Order: sequence, then structure tokens, then C-alpha cells
Amino acid sequence: MTAGLQTAIRRIARFSAYELTVFAVVVALFLVALVGPLLAPPSIYTSNMLETLMPPSADHWLGTDDQGRDIAWRLVAGAQLSLLATMLVVILYSAIGMLVATLATVGPRWADELLMRISDIGLSLPGLVVALGIATVLGPSLQSGIIALALTGWPMTARILRTTMRQTMEQSFVEGATVLGVSRTRLMLKHVLPNSLDVLIVKWAGDLSYTMLILAGLSFIGVGAQPPSPEWGAMISGARSYTSIAWWAVAAPGAAIVINAVAFALLADILQVHRDPSLRS
Amino acid sequence: MTMVLKRGEDVADQVHRPVPLLNVDQLCIDIGARNASVRIVDKVSFTLGKGERVALVGESGSGKSVTAQALMRLNPRVRLSGRVDFDGADLLQLSAGQMAALRGSRIGMVFQDPMSSLDPLMTIGDQVAETLRIRGIGRQEARRRALEVLDELKVERAVERLESYPHEFSGGMRQRVVLAMALVGEPDLLIADEPTTALDVRVQERVLDLLDEISRRRGLAVLLITHDMGIVAGFADRVMVMYSGRIVEENEAAQLFREPQHPYTRGLLEAVPRADRTVDRLPSINGAPPLPSSRPKGCHFHPRCDRATGVCSAETPGETFTPLGGRVRCHLYGAG
Repeated sequence: MTAGLQTAIRRIARFSAYELTVFAVVVALFLVALVGPLLAPPSIYTSNMLETLMPPSADHWLGTDDQGRDIAWRLVAGAQLSLLATMLVVILYSAIGMLVATLATVGPRWADELLMRISDIGLSLPGLVVALGIATVLGPSLQSGIIALALTGWPMTARILRTTMRQTMEQSFVEGATVLGVSRTRLMLKHVLPNSLDVLIVKWAGDLSYTMLILAGLSFIGVGAQPPSPEWGAMISGARSYTSIAWWAVAAPGAAIVINAVAFALLADILQVHRDPSLRS
Repeated sequence: MTMVLKRGEDVADQVHRPVPLLNVDQLCIDIGARNASVRIVDKVSFTLGKGERVALVGESGSGKSVTAQALMRLNPRVRLSGRVDFDGADLLQLSAGQMAALRGSRIGMVFQDPMSSLDPLMTIGDQVAETLRIRGIGRQEARRRALEVLDELKVERAVERLESYPHEFSGGMRQRVVLAMALVGEPDLLIADEPTTALDVRVQERVLDLLDEISRRRGLAVLLITHDMGIVAGFADRVMVMYSGRIVEENEAAQLFREPQHPYTRGLLEAVPRADRTVDRLPSINGAPPLPSSRPKGCHFHPRCDRATGVCSAETPGETFTPLGGRVRCHLYGAG
């Protein structure tokens, strides 16, 4: 299909070199997350007491940890856990938030009131503590951490989105679509929701890095990923006590988190510009 | 119509009595809680024939836009009573689903503001085709028909522009796209609520000419809602003048402009600047229209009327049919 190819080329040509670089970095991060665990040598799961806390060298690019495991390979192997778990949490609670916001916008007044009061209650509780409670009840594991964060993360999304959707409903293209006979469901999904998502795209950038840290925090407390899992947060907390003699054991996973967070922030920025047709030029 | 006209019969008479399409009977619109409700439109009745172009003229606050919205049942905050018969069915009795099925396919509507009437995130092609797509018509077919309508509306290089977004269009072009969206479903009736008010005068004229052309070609009935007597003259077959929630006068356009009966209509027409007359100062109607919540007793226009008498503030004038073929709500005519 040459037409399809042409369209694809036209789409790519719209992006600048900088934007394509950011895409490439994000794609690379995803690739690492997808295939990393398959490539990593099995030695990263076992102790090697002869090579504990070695500084970065040609053999071990980022040094070794207190069990003598190669930190670089552990980061590669852990990328899947950290990155995908983070994405999963954000996707899950965004979906819940969108559903709640949509119901609150189209539903009767009492439904709006009810859903928003529930969101308020959710917002007034400290998320980390509630997540800690849920994860403890479910038993300490990464899955528990994901479920706990998905269940506590949605209220902010719901509130922000509901306000924006209400504003979007006031715009005359909504009435314009109504007079064409567009159904309520289609109106919400095709017109109101897409025109309200801009605020969330900005929020997602922050959400990814924040969630990554919270997930790491849960692991640190002991209800998230369990050692010897190479989850990045677990790696930081595991190496915490050796910071003064082996800074690399903390700095390397920290840097991995920072690189991911920045890459997503830049990606969100680009997406926002390209989603709004009037900002493209 | 297969009616054969006998020699000598008045052809004009036949032309001006088209088959009724829309019949509004005693339509009342109330707003607010039941115990403190305000009547914003009071017993409005009119008929619109197939292919007929009728203008509903009035100042802002006269209730003309609310009437238009009521025909489409767009405003859930108002209470409607009376009858609105469209092609045999009372629109006020239809279910929400039946009403949605009618919108876009049988009755089209366009609004004042072409800038915000389009979804900024959707291409022009998708928006024009949407009415067809939601009715199960295939992508290719819908696209082809969207293109046809855009051509009909003289949108240049329409093929390329199907992929454009609303912000890439000028105001006049956007209003054509909005019209295309309303017309692509081939409705029998188009309700145009101040369709050209946001446009500059020359663009206004172009859009109205197009609408005129399409209405004639397709036999499309148009209800034009406007405050601008100037654009009515060249477009409408018949004119209804609305003041403060009531239709105060109706007649064929030519008659109404030649011999306005109601003092309000006269005032409106005198206030239109004309190229063939030089005046130092345009006449105007004193005062302002009353708010729906504080309308005077009797004829709503009497406080601003220079021919008001005692009866005007006491009794609501009934409808009188004039020898000129129209109807008027004014005590000046009711007695005779």
C-alpha cells in the first residue's frame, strides 16, 4: 500500500530531529524493558561474595552491589518490572478516573455529587498510607503494590477530567454534534473526552515519575517488590546502607529512574503539541 | 406535485400554499421551578411548507432562538407545551432516541458561531461525514457524499481540505463546513439560528446566496432566525416578527416590507439604514424589550409604542388576519 506508506512518511516528516530523538530514547527504554530480562545473565540473581561492592570498571560498567551482582545487568533486568509496573499503574487509574469523570459528566446530578464526594474522600486520605494498607492486606508483592496504587491514584484524574469535560460540554460543537443526531455515548467518547484530555497528558508525565518513586517506596517499606528482585526501587533501598562506601549502588538505579522520568516528561510535552492541530506548524 | 393548473387560475396562489411540513401550534416555553416558572415563549403558532423559506425575526431576548432550540428539543432545562407537528409526528411526544434519529437526517440545524461549532480535533472530512457514519453508511460512501456537499457549497479544493482541521479555515469557510454538516444528511428542514451574524457583510451575503441556491435546488425548507431585517429581505418568502415571546406579525416578505402593520414591525423597518434615502439620524424604537420575568400586562409592546391606547395595557391583543394576507397581534386592527 503506497498510500499508507506516504501517509506514514508525511506523519514522520512532521516531527523535528529533537522530537524524533526523544521518541528513539523512549522506544529504547521500552525495548530494554521488554527484552532485558531475557538477555541478562543468570548470575545477577545469585551471590558472588568475591566481587561485592566493586566500583565501576570495564568488567562491571556500573559496579557491583553488596551481593557481588552486576548493577548494570540488574538495571536492565529490572527495567521491565519498574517501567511496566509504573505504566500499568498509571493506565489503570487513568482508566478508572476517565470512567468516573465521564459518568459524573453525563449522569444525573446525584451521580455527579456521589462520585465527586467519593473522589474527595480519596483525595483527603494520604495515598501512600492507604496503598500500604491495601498492599499489606493483599500480601507483600509487586502485584499488590500495583493494585494498591491503581485503587488509590484515580481521584485526582477524575476530578481534573470531570471539570474539563464539563467545560468542554459547554462548547458549541457539542451542541453542533447533538443536532446531527450523534448519540450521547458517541458524543462523550468521540468529542468531549478527546477535547478534554490535554490536561491529563501533562499530568501523565508527572504521574509516571511520581508513581515510579512510590512503587520504589512501597518496595522499600517491604510491601512491594521483594528482594532479590531487581526492581529499581528495591535496588535503591537495598543499597541504602552502603551509600557511604558504594555510592554507585544507589546512584545507578536513581539515575535510571531520572532518565525514565525525564524521557516521559519530554514525550508528554511533544504529544501535547502534536495533539492540538493548531499548535502544529 | 401533479396538480394541473387551469388556465386563468392564480399561479402565485398555488406556489404560496405549499404542502405543510412543520406545524407549530400554541407552543409555550417555560423556564424555572414549577412554582416560580417564567413563560419565555407564549403560544407561538406557525406553519412551514415544504421548500418554504421563512424568517423569524426579533431582537435578542424575544424568544426566537429558544423557539428554534425547542423545535429540536435541545434545551433540557425548559418545559415545552403545545404541539410541534413535523411530517405527521408531534416532536414534543417523541422519545429521546426517536428525536436523535430525526436530528441531522430530517431536520438540520446551524448555529451562529462558526468558530466554535466545529470540533477542533477532528478533520473537516470526518466531521461532515459523521452524520452519515453514525447511521451506518460506509467510510468510502460517507466521504464521497461529504465531498459532494462541500462542492455544492463551493468549498474550493474540497478533496485536499477533507484532511484539514477547523483552525485552517476562515470564518466564512467554517460556516460552509457547518452548513455542509447540516445538509449532508439531506434534511427536509434546516433551522438556521443567526447563521451569518458572526461573519462580515460580504461573506454573509455569499453564504446566504449559497443557502438560497441549495434550498431552491433541493426543495429544502429553511427557518431563518435572525435579528437582521436586512438579510431577510433577499432570502425569505415569508416573515414572522417576534417580540417578547409572541409572534406579533406575519406576512409574505414583500407585503411585510411594503406595508408593515404592527407598530413594532414599522419601527424595525424604519431602523434599517437604506441606500436610497439620506437621513441625519436613523429612527429607533425607544426603550428596550422587557425581561421575560417582568413583561407588562396586555400587549407586551405598549410601553414602547407611540400609538398605544388604554386597552393596550389592559388586554392581550388577539390575532387578526389582515386583508393583506397576513396576521397581526395588535389592538389597532383587532377592533375592526
